[in-house]
Amino acid sequence: MIPRVALVTFFFLVANAIAQIPKGVEIRKSLVRITTTSQEPDYKVPWNPGSMSVGVGAGFVIDGDRILTNAHVVSNASFIVVEKEDDPQHYPATVQFIGHDCDLAVLRVLDKSFFQNTRPLTTGGIPAIESPVSVYGYPIGGERLSVTRGIISRIDFQVYSHSGIDSHLAVQIDAAINPGNSGGPVMQDGKVVGVAFQGYSGDVAQNVGYMIPTPVIRRFLKDISNGRYDGYVDLSLTYFKLVNPAERRALGLPDNEQGVMVSSVSTAGCSYGVLQQGDVLLTIDNLPIASDGFVQLDGERVEMPEIVERKFKGDKVKLDILRDKKKQTVELQLTGNWPYLMQANHYDSPPRFVLFGGLVFQPLSKNFMDAYQVEDMRLRYHYNFFVTDEIYRTHPEVIVLSNILPDPVNAYLADLRFQIVDDINNKKIGTLEDMANAFAQKCDYYVIHFVGSARPAVLERSAVERARDRIIGNYNVQKEQFVEGGLLK
Amino acid sequence: MRKFLTLLLAIGFFQTGHGAAEPTPEEAPAPPEQKGSVVRVNSTNQAYDFFRPWNKEAPFSRRGMGVLIDGGNILVTAELVANNDYIELERADSGEKATATVQVIDYEANLAILHSTDPKFLEGMQPLQITTDVKAGDEVEVLQLESNGTPVSTKALVTTVEVGRYALEDSGYLMFRMSCPLQFRENSFTLPIVKGKKLAAFLMRYDSRSQTIDAIAGPVIQHFLVESQHQPYRGFPRAGMGFSPTRDPQLRRYLKLQDTDGGVYINQVDQGGPAAKAGIQEGDVLVAIAHTQVDPDGNYLHPVYGKLSITHLTTTEAYSGQSLMMTVIRNGDRRQLRIELFRKPVEGYAIEPYTIGKPPRYYILGGLVFQELTRQYLREWGANWLKDAPQRLVYYDRFQSDLFPDGRKIIILTQILPTEDTVGYEQLNNLVVTKLNGRKLQNLEEFAEAAKNPMGGFHKIEFEEDPREIYLDAQQVQEDAAQLQKTYSIPELRHL
Repeated sequence: MIPRVALVTFFFLVANAIAQIPKGVEIRKSLVRITTTSQEPDYKVPWNPGSMSVGVGAGFVIDGDRILTNAHVVSNASFIVVEKEDDPQHYPATVQFIGHDCDLAVLRVLDKSFFQNTRPLTTGGIPAIESPVSVYGYPIGGERLSVTRGIISRIDFQVYSHSGIDSHLAVQIDAAINPGNSGGPVMQDGKVVGVAFQGYSGDVAQNVGYMIPTPVIRRFLKDISNGRYDGYVDLSLTYFKLVNPAERRALGLPDNEQGVMVSSVSTAGCSYGVLQQGDVLLTIDNLPIASDGFVQLDGERVEMPEIVERKFKGDKVKLDILRDKKKQTVELQLTGNWPYLMQANHYDSPPRFVLFGGLVFQPLSKNFMDAYQVEDMRLRYHYNFFVTDEIYRTHPEVIVLSNILPDPVNAYLADLRFQIVDDINNKKIGTLEDMANAFAQKCDYYVIHFVGSARPAVLERSAVERARDRIIGNYNVQKEQFVEGGLLK
Repeated sequence: MRKFLTLLLAIGFFQTGHGAAEPTPEEAPAPPEQKGSVVRVNSTNQAYDFFRPWNKEAPFSRRGMGVLIDGGNILVTAELVANNDYIELERADSGEKATATVQVIDYEANLAILHSTDPKFLEGMQPLQITTDVKAGDEVEVLQLESNGTPVSTKALVTTVEVGRYALEDSGYLMFRMSCPLQFRENSFTLPIVKGKKLAAFLMRYDSRSQTIDAIAGPVIQHFLVESQHQPYRGFPRAGMGFSPTRDPQLRRYLKLQDTDGGVYINQVDQGGPAAKAGIQEGDVLVAIAHTQVDPDGNYLHPVYGKLSITHLTTTEAYSGQSLMMTVIRNGDRRQLRIELFRKPVEGYAIEPYTIGKPPRYYILGGLVFQELTRQYLREWGANWLKDAPQRLVYYDRFQSDLFPDGRKIIILTQILPTEDTVGYEQLNNLVVTKLNGRKLQNLEEFAEAAKNPMGGFHKIEFEEDPREIYLDAQQVQEDAAQLQKTYSIPELRHL
């Protein structure tokens, strides 16, 4: 299999570019060129605003005077400009809704005159394999609108590389798509059948591009129709295929190729308290679940989670189960599952941290791991097994001594870098907020204990206070903490 | 993935093998007295394959030198004869050969005593005495043999005396670092280092690029030889605790330490170890051992070597069974605690840090291979095992004293030998087993016991991770056992 790391999003970073007006292309009434100035936060210097870059992507007009594009085209944006084909003017735009889990975003243009003479596109179905499609956008290689053609190669679940952790349906096409195609419509018979969004870089695979298909697009548009994006919901459980005959008999199942076994139930999800390990799932919304976890949906065999993929927060799902060899019917009210987001890429919010005595404390996250490339085995374990070992139950946030700004106050603490905070003055630390609160207490000593058998770090309040201005001045610290936000609601 | 790295492979040890060497200016023929004290030792070793625990890897041979010691025995490094099938001694002068057996071996101190099976073989040779009178700045001689048996000695300068890592990553003892331009010769795996006709050290590692030697120091050899007289051999003791410096003035004030106190912060105490039994607790500050002051970095002043880690006091200066008085400061109060030192046997660890000279334990149930987790198993992933081996298992090994203080074994389903009984389980591997047939497991013996009592005709195997539980038909497993053994050519379905 091709490594997932090679997936790149087709967002074109440029210095400047001027739109030209192509003639004779009907799509020009719908296509939008998006130029985003973004600031990517620096997790190693969390108080800094981060580095600026400018990128170009595509989008298209949809009903209600809106523009649909990829989330990654407008992530971390500080300024967005949109242009259309027959108009020399640049229009400032803002993000109205953004779904990082499905890499889609809806933009609003402040100047409503932008939408004069535009034609909203409508969405079609999932195109057939081998059928031809056209891809529109502003890819690298020129300034003007570009169109490439290809055919549908494959329809499958794929990891969406923007979040890095979410998997949804994606359609593979063999049209040449390149940086700058991101957010552009993929058309068939005058309708949008997908949004071009990612592919493999040329040194990994040739002519492998992916588009977000219309079920995912429609789900996003429906989700935001109540004025809020809730995101995907999840059964928040893992299951095991029941193929082994002895296992089937042991669980009291007939030899009918039906049913999967619940392996684990996340305590943070909607199945907790309703389903339990060892339950056999027989049907989902009255559809029989085959022993390999597939269900028959609209004439297609799809994996069981696809049933839930199409639902929304608060929706219900009905399951027939076998528990202790007795049949039961249960109903779940679907919610998201926050702990897994720790391993997802984060956007649009500054890094959270607390600085005290020159010690920088940050919650463990994907962005954190990418920035620091930590080798520490304990830290790697807490990251990799945060969800599976339910580390979030005791440490909803894993607070790490991530950096030390050298100063006399912390001269002997260098060896404690990358330790995980367990408690301060014997008060357990579960979140960054706990951390900020502990340091806000007036104590003579702040004794920080770490997970495992490292010695404690001891900071005297008087010494920290004396060092404060010195550290802020020497290291140009813009602010000493940013605690708001976080995954745990 | 299946590349085997022997546990004892010394890094950078004579990677470049030139055949016989030309003498360099530093080399000179050894004095005739020493001629009759060393023999060639050729050991054919064969390690077990932990991925196929019923098999051995291909045999390989190591060639080194041994030293005749009092009592008519030969002293070598343990690495030389680890996992040996056959040991051969060869007289340097006559080329005569005789077989030998291991009498005492200590993998942690990396030393072994060999016994010749032919009592007359060593006749006419002169035993070497041990000297502990070597310090930094001294000049010593590294002994080698030419292929024709001519002894050669190379001068080496002792640059550092410190407690350093021996062959296994968990064992640190007194070590001499030397600089020395050594030539490769075919018996270079273990080399005696002498000072004034006495054995001063044993070469353990040589880095040809920096021309430096790490050597087992005389006091460690001395300790080993004294302890080898004891029946049974008890090994080098350990205090069973971890410590860290107390240089930080804020920490010192918080712990109410005087500047003159020195001392180290005890951050870890092994459950059931000497320190724990003596009543030492995490958070204590150890300020003196046997009335010797401990400085804030964990060193003391040795009369010969100067600043030295206190580890030397508890592992080498003291013997197993010996008691020492430790002074600790707890909440500002001084306490005297008597600690009786002993070694924690390798079997006492939850995850054995090394498994040498004995076959791995395993139990095969219906094509499912169960083993106790050992570091040797993790090492089968090759040089990068810390990154390449299953991360949960690596983490368990690394932090075993925190995670499994009681020393219970970690049983893992290592792999599946596919049969009809294992349909649907083919992808499972390296899963930690929590229960078999409803019974919690401390070790593989308990696993074997639990396997005698299937539940309702099924073996129920429970794991710490997904899929959490699987089943085997007990009757079927029994009926298929002979066929399984035949298909995969397994001599025994279990070894406990």
